[in-house]
Amino acid sequence: MKKIFLKIAILITLITTGCTENTDTVVVYTTVDQIFSEPILNDFESHTGIKIKAIYDTEETKSTGVLNRLIAEKDNPQCDVFWSGDPVRIIVLKNKGITSPYQSPMANDINGFFKDPDHHWTGFSARARVLIYNKNLLTKEEVPHSIFDLTKEQYRGKFAIANPLFGTTTFHIAALFTSLGDERAKQLFADLKNNEVVIASSNGDVKKQVILGKVACGLTDTDDVYEAIKEQANIGFVFLDQQGIGSLIMPNTVSLIKKSPHTENGKKLMDYLLSKETEAKLAKSCAQMPLHKGVKIPGDITSLDNIIPMNIDYDKTAQKLENIQNYLKKWLEQ
Amino acid sequence: MIIRSIERLWYSLVFGSFFLFIVLPIFYTVGDALLPKASNSSLVENLLLINNDSFSLLAKSSAIAFSIAFLSTILGVIFGFILFKTNVAFQGFFKIALLIPLFISPYILAVAWNDFFYLCFGNINLLASYLGVILILTFIYTPLSIVIIGSAFLNINAQLEEAGEMMTDYLHVIFKITLPLIKPALLTSFVLVFIFSISEFSVPIFFGVKVFTTEIFTQFSAFYNHSLAILQSTLLILLCLLLLFSEKAYLAEAPFLSVQGGGIRTENNHFNHWRGLNVSLLFIWFLLSVLLPLVVLFIQSFDDGTAKFIQAFALLKPTFINSIGLAFAGAMICIVIGFTAAYVAEVKKTKSLIWLLLFVFATPSTIFGICLIKFYNRPLLDAIYSSYAIILLGYSGKFSFIAAKLIENAIKQIPKSFDEVAQIQGIVLFRRIWMILLPLIMPSIFAAFIINCIFCIGELGTTIMVYPPGTEILPIKVFTLMANAPQALISSMTLIVFSITLLLITALYLFFKALPKCQS
Amino acid sequence: MSIIRLTDITHAYGAKQVLQQLSLDIGASQLTCLLGGSGSGKTTILRLIAGLEAPQSGCITISNNKVTDNKHIIIPPHQRHLGFIFQDLALWPHFTVYKNITFGLTARKQKNVKESVQQMLDYFGLQEYSDKYPHQLSGGQQQLVALSRALVLRPKILLMDEPLANLDVKLKRKTLDLIKKLQHNFDLSIVFVTHDHREAFVIADNIVILNKGIIEQAGSVEQIKNSENEFVKYFIEY
Repeated sequence: MKKIFLKIAILITLITTGCTENTDTVVVYTTVDQIFSEPILNDFESHTGIKIKAIYDTEETKSTGVLNRLIAEKDNPQCDVFWSGDPVRIIVLKNKGITSPYQSPMANDINGFFKDPDHHWTGFSARARVLIYNKNLLTKEEVPHSIFDLTKEQYRGKFAIANPLFGTTTFHIAALFTSLGDERAKQLFADLKNNEVVIASSNGDVKKQVILGKVACGLTDTDDVYEAIKEQANIGFVFLDQQGIGSLIMPNTVSLIKKSPHTENGKKLMDYLLSKETEAKLAKSCAQMPLHKGVKIPGDITSLDNIIPMNIDYDKTAQKLENIQNYLKKWLEQ
Repeated sequence: MIIRSIERLWYSLVFGSFFLFIVLPIFYTVGDALLPKASNSSLVENLLLINNDSFSLLAKSSAIAFSIAFLSTILGVIFGFILFKTNVAFQGFFKIALLIPLFISPYILAVAWNDFFYLCFGNINLLASYLGVILILTFIYTPLSIVIIGSAFLNINAQLEEAGEMMTDYLHVIFKITLPLIKPALLTSFVLVFIFSISEFSVPIFFGVKVFTTEIFTQFSAFYNHSLAILQSTLLILLCLLLLFSEKAYLAEAPFLSVQGGGIRTENNHFNHWRGLNVSLLFIWFLLSVLLPLVVLFIQSFDDGTAKFIQAFALLKPTFINSIGLAFAGAMICIVIGFTAAYVAEVKKTKSLIWLLLFVFATPSTIFGICLIKFYNRPLLDAIYSSYAIILLGYSGKFSFIAAKLIENAIKQIPKSFDEVAQIQGIVLFRRIWMILLPLIMPSIFAAFIINCIFCIGELGTTIMVYPPGTEILPIKVFTLMANAPQALISSMTLIVFSITLLLITALYLFFKALPKCQS
Repeated sequence: MSIIRLTDITHAYGAKQVLQQLSLDIGASQLTCLLGGSGSGKTTILRLIAGLEAPQSGCITISNNKVTDNKHIIIPPHQRHLGFIFQDLALWPHFTVYKNITFGLTARKQKNVKESVQQMLDYFGLQEYSDKYPHQLSGGQQQLVALSRALVLRPKILLMDEPLANLDVKLKRKTLDLIKKLQHNFDLSIVFVTHDHREAFVIADNIVILNKGIIEQAGSVEQIKNSENEFVKYFIEY
């Protein structure tokens, strides 16, 4: 009996402790939800024959697990391409000297606003920050149209935001600080706290709380909203501050990692991700708005042309993000 | 002479390998964070950040962990007694069923309870608090206490209790004789649950409750301040080590944490008149800790038919073989290391290897993962870093201590005379271990194997940091897919993970039962 | 006069029948040896008398009080005024000698605990060991502690399950003499289980020889020695 046990154990140990493969590969780390990113990567693999090895982020680590891994691996990168769901975290990597410049020919017609001047990152397929609301709890007239509306008495304890220390919420807040200035932004957040803002664990949790009616409305991203619509939840959404500072647009970004093991394959992947074809697929799967001109999108997806964007500099916003972290931590703990 | 050399060589090999491959990365990373460098104002800044607030947060977290450990241990005594010391109905069913919370990720359980509370009460105010964290984690860790304490109940010499029964009523015997005799198991249960609880952050972060580990996670993930995160983790490690050291010192040589010794009749017909109450208590606990969250998950999964469940199965299917294989391999390695440490600790009275296992066990999973990256991510060690070997290192580091504990106590139960008789007959060491010791402690080894398998298959904190790109492992796939997946899909995936684990455990249990008995 | 009476006792462990319709009287103030090989049922009888188990059928009386009737234990062990010396002594490892002896007295909230214990320690010469733990004592000393523990409660009946099994020859002899002395000094009725007929011949007033749960013969030492029963003759031959 002991011998059978031992033999099985040794066999399994040998099978599972495999050596490194030596096939044509590209390694990509992505913070974009696996449910959306994986099909794109699989398509690349079938088109090119280059094997994709991916690392995805989890709900728990909130888009930072992958980032920390990249930072930890800085001296001996394993990753070729970093595909981020927002531009600020990729700027963190650029500032740490982890990225490498690459100007993809596929991105020539993308607006320079969505590209790093030094070519360390390139934007595509954007999401936006929106207000999701429960139609049973708010009529069209009652729906807030500005973030400042959320400080009003009628919304006391009835709106939610995700943990401001992680994810796109941090980016949104940093953008508000950049756009409004520190003083005005801090006042806004003090007022939101006084108005009993509900802190959810994630954007997905905000969506869930709104659907269930635990709160009347909340701040989240467009892809969360469209997931809710697909689930046939009775929700609506608005782009806030269309008469004021505008809504935050968050492009996906892609970046080549310095000293990556498969640089050429990495460039091919980047070209694929920056193509109109990919943008069309992401528009269909998760309502992301193409940055290329002339990409066919489903009828229910808002075009970027119809949104007043927040006028911010992504580099400055990334810097602001690092500066306000301590403030946000204190604000959260109040 | 040659045998003694081989004996020493084996021990050195295991000790050296564990130190080199698993402990050294931690020392290296912690040392790197702590040692002054050329432009290292950050070290001073970080040290200054460990102030009264940090210590008060650590104290608060300790209080929460203390409550969880205390409650779990008390419940472990009650349910362990009912299951292992009485003839309660459906004993076999409850013994497995009450273990189920160990198979479910704490985060998922928190989500299920969250939804349940909202459905029933319209709000989750009670849950999104320290009370909620204590409630959920008590549900999760009580099964561990039941296993540890129940095993100890099984191993009590019945005559010690019967001698007491000749003098006083059985209730008195329980409090004055039975419970003191299993004190080592009570302490072990308390300490292990305390360490697990204080290291857990997914449930507090979900409920928005600030604890020490959420602070470490925040420093790590929001501030990218790895140095401070490691410094804070060092405090946590020291606390856990202090607790474990106190336990060891207090218990001295008392035996504890064993599983099913043979030859001791512990059949107990006391409390037969309370059969109804016993079953009710077990059922209520089963309802709260298992049925309720499973029902919530079930309803969420099948709310709109079976489509999401089928989709979840298709998504997770590629991970099954890998994950089970890795869990098996990981558990096997833990057993080898654990057995060596336990044998040397118990027979040779050399505890250094067990202390090493203990040190790594007390290290928070995420920090351990970072330590492995920083040490192994270099071209020379690519063969390890880019393969499943790095995951197995993670498993071995995290769970070898548990195997060592279980096996150490089993070895304590075997009379030394069994080995001495064989020595006198001229049987060499390895043959004595293989032919005499191992068969006698095989139930404990098997139990350690199963428990380690469960932990390995559900391990996320370290694995998420180190898994090679392109590999598919069950808990990672569940958690990466969870981001923005519909609730039905998330719940379906959880049910699938739970089912796989349950099937695996049942298969192993039946396999063991079918083997010829090799112990009297 | 019998102090313990077993009537039509049947008992089994699972499928294994241990006692079959066994009836037995134990005389008051006498030392009765239950003698037989392994599996003959002698320890089972002891455990049934003690109330640690209930027979499948049959009835047990102690001092004319029904204590067990079929599967029902009417009077629990601690209320039967019995002392029990277990085969491996069952001294509580976490208690000192002193605590082992006082446990029963304090559990029953008896008065004059210190004096009672001191008496026992003096009687058995254990004064200097009172603060030691069982594992710090020799086998003989542990034996004496077990006896002290049982006798401090002044039982009427003492049940002894192979108490000499782990002792050397000299100590066995000494202990046999001691047991006989205790029987008289404490006016005990003793039920003594052994597989060694030589022990029985030295110490017993009555001997009951068991074979597979059935009484082959019961009688005085002389009667057993001169028995015509083939099994008994064979058993005592070696």
